[in-house]
Amino acid sequence: MGFFSKLFKGPEIDMEKSNANAKKMRTLFNQVVEKGDSYQLIFGYTEDVSRFNYGFVHGSKTKIGNLIVGWNESSQTIVVVPTVPDLSGCGDPTYYRRSEILKAYRNKYPTDAFIIYPDKRSYIGINAYDWLEDESLYVYVSQEKELAAFTDFFMNRFATK
Amino acid sequence: MPLRELGVILLVLVVIFVFGQLWFHFVETLLRWLKKLFVRHKEPSKWHPLPVEQEENSDV
Repeated sequence: MGFFSKLFKGPEIDMEKSNANAKKMRTLFNQVVEKGDSYQLIFGYTEDVSRFNYGFVHGSKTKIGNLIVGWNESSQTIVVVPTVPDLSGCGDPTYYRRSEILKAYRNKYPTDAFIIYPDKRSYIGINAYDWLEDESLYVYVSQEKELAAFTDFFMNRFATK
Repeated sequence: MPLRELGVILLVLVVIFVFGQLWFHFVETLLRWLKKLFVRHKEPSKWHPLPVEQEENSDV
């Protein structure tokens, strides 16, 4: 009984690991973003799918980029910091201020990604979920409440009509 | 179907699979080399490593 109930419950989140990673995300974010503490954080990722055809071998390749996504309610700004699944470091931040972007909306198909166009030529699609199990590809962090807060901010105060 | 014929079919499939893998990696390597040759090297973006946590001084 105990075995089967455990089996059907699905994977359990290691909260100790998740909290440690949330702390690391905060440290990295604050290191590169001025007044980093004024931003709330979630983990997100980008997905770049490209098709290839090498004669009789063809298929698709997917590149995943991990991101620390910060948002500030009062300045209506989203900051995106590239990172790696083990959070050993991060890149330079990119700022998306609502007053400066071209448009922002939530995608419906094929994924429910958060899309931001800073200008006509470029865009970023941020995918975010409560928790992703695969540590080799994604940052191991549980973020149900944070994701709900980010979705509310994006849809009600950041997305352009 | 005799066991031998099944084995031959399986072997052919394995050969096709291995050749496909080799072909894929060969073309990928070739494309990477060509990219290196013709695309100008871009300066990689700055990377900030996670600071090593300061160990709490527990010495008395």
